[in-house]
Amino acid sequence: MSTRRLLHLLVLLLLATALGAACKSQGAPAKLVEVRRSQLLMGTVVEIIARGPDRPRLETAVDGAFAELARIEKLMEPHGLDSDVGRLFKAGIFLEVSPDTAAVIAQGLKVATASGGVFDMGLGRLKELWDIEGEHPQPPSAAAIAQALAGTGLGDLQLNGRVVQKRDPGLVVDLGGIAKGYGIDRAIGVLAAAGVEHASINAGGDIRLLGNRGNRPWRIGIQHPRHPGEILATIDLADTAVVTSGDYERFYERDGVRYHHLFDPRTGQPGRLCQSVTVVAPEAVLADALATAVFILGPQAGLELLARFRGVEGLIVAADGTSVTTPGLADQVKWR
Amino acid sequence: MALTSLWRRTRPFDRVVVLLLFILCAVLFVVLRPGPPGRRVVVEAAGRVVFTAPLDQDRSFIVTGPLGETRLAIRHGSVCIEASPCPHRVCLGMGAITRSGEILACVPNGVLVRITGTASTGDRTEPYDLLSR
Amino acid sequence: MTSSPADHPDLPRLRRRVFLALFAALAVALHTLEALLPAPAPWFRLGFANILTLVALFCYGGRAAWSVALVRIGVGSLVLGNLFAPGFLLALGGGIPATALMTLAHRVGGRRLGPVGVSALGAAGHAAGQMLIASLVLVRHPGLWALFPFFLLFALLTGIANGVAADLVLDALRGHPAFSAALGVEEER
Repeated sequence: MSTRRLLHLLVLLLLATALGAACKSQGAPAKLVEVRRSQLLMGTVVEIIARGPDRPRLETAVDGAFAELARIEKLMEPHGLDSDVGRLFKAGIFLEVSPDTAAVIAQGLKVATASGGVFDMGLGRLKELWDIEGEHPQPPSAAAIAQALAGTGLGDLQLNGRVVQKRDPGLVVDLGGIAKGYGIDRAIGVLAAAGVEHASINAGGDIRLLGNRGNRPWRIGIQHPRHPGEILATIDLADTAVVTSGDYERFYERDGVRYHHLFDPRTGQPGRLCQSVTVVAPEAVLADALATAVFILGPQAGLELLARFRGVEGLIVAADGTSVTTPGLADQVKWR
Repeated sequence: MALTSLWRRTRPFDRVVVLLLFILCAVLFVVLRPGPPGRRVVVEAAGRVVFTAPLDQDRSFIVTGPLGETRLAIRHGSVCIEASPCPHRVCLGMGAITRSGEILACVPNGVLVRITGTASTGDRTEPYDLLSR
Repeated sequence: MTSSPADHPDLPRLRRRVFLALFAALAVALHTLEALLPAPAPWFRLGFANILTLVALFCYGGRAAWSVALVRIGVGSLVLGNLFAPGFLLALGGGIPATALMTLAHRVGGRRLGPVGVSALGAAGHAAGQMLIASLVLVRHPGLWALFPFFLLFALLTGIANGVAADLVLDALRGHPAFSAALGVEEER
């Protein structure tokens, strides 16, 4: 073979490799389609986004996820006749509940204990008293608050296997947000079991992520607590849950004081130390309970509480509008 | 004289070709000129938006690409690349941009900075996938 | 050609091969040197290596120019350690259209088109090719083209400078006996 031909061969080989490398660097995996559906569930709009190569499969999986959410909703409706929460309202001291409700209460009790009772699932009567979302809400009297708090506090609920024990028969259990968190955790489990690799469920701002978005992490915007329609920061996340509790969601103002729905069980008053708390945790049910607890505890004690949970991060906007994050989140938050 | 020696070194077609290329360049300057002052800075790394911010708030931002960190700064309604790990620093020499449609690019580090929206109309695309509230 | 016992019939071909190798080696050296130079100004991409491609084109024709250009890009990338990295893709994306335009222009223009015009065309092709690669593979945003006029203008200026440099080199080579044959043939065309 002549040198020239060898040279040509070499050049050709070089070009072919270069072309191959170029194609490889650009070659995306199979094109992802996206199924995005919303439904009114658990008192809020639940949006499921599933991304994958196979649309029919995604549709089926999303159907299953919504069905699971509906099942959890029915189980934990606050005033449902056959819901576990409704039966707990009527029950005396003991009640055997479904495994799902037991799981939610177990998670709630974990955070209740860790937070020294600042997270309390027995505040149903206090919430009804304040009636934040009612037609004509009024700050209740101190005596009424004291009465509503009777029987609450650390140890007001106990769980043995599937049997819930109320310390006071008059205790009204309110699972609130954590039932929603549990619901989206379960629904994500349904999607994962159906072979979906990239999905998100957003239940009125409580978010659980399955995998990443396909080509990049999910970009989560954190609502600015004082400027509606604006976001405070974004965080790129995958395979986790994000829940924000803020005093701007449900509130009214009287004489320049903001009364909102996150109550301090020690005083019976809305918490005053934070504007909003965002918690990133492996499960939404945990994130939900922790966000509520941290909101009441305030930035400093809140960060200490979060540090005691593995894989949990948080972003806290204090009452004065300043923000702090856990060390693990500091580099990931993009402020706006 | 340098110019006369340059002229001597060119042949007839050279002059025509160079002239045509300069005309093409001038035409492109007119055709591809940027628009009115913009509203938002959008920063893309490796083809995806990593950061967006209003152009009227001063701030700096670091984008990480394959070569390292590219530092951007927004000041007085314009954005520029302040520091870059790329070998030729072409992006630094692009200066600052202020107008809608203008871009800065650090090709080696895969960073693209562009300005969208105009001061009056605005740009309503949300910078996130999901909102936690 | 005068024939002497020392003149092997293959001598011109051997010479050609040796000098091509020399050009390619010089091109690689310049390519590397330029990458290592601290850029005086960010827009300063001089493209000195193209001088060697031009010289090869005017001495030995289109195929020689292709050899020098491709060897320069390939070996240069090996030396710099960025083979198949974005920088290499950019070099290739600029080098191929540049060389194509230069060889084509040289063939069409013949004697009336000198190194300056060929070099300016090559520089424009280089800028366009790099832009295309950058916008297709690396940045993927049409807004990138807003920068093209600046790139093109600068490429034209460096292209002209390199063309003049190549012309100077060719002048010097013309005086050398080893090139009289090659350049003589060139002049006759």
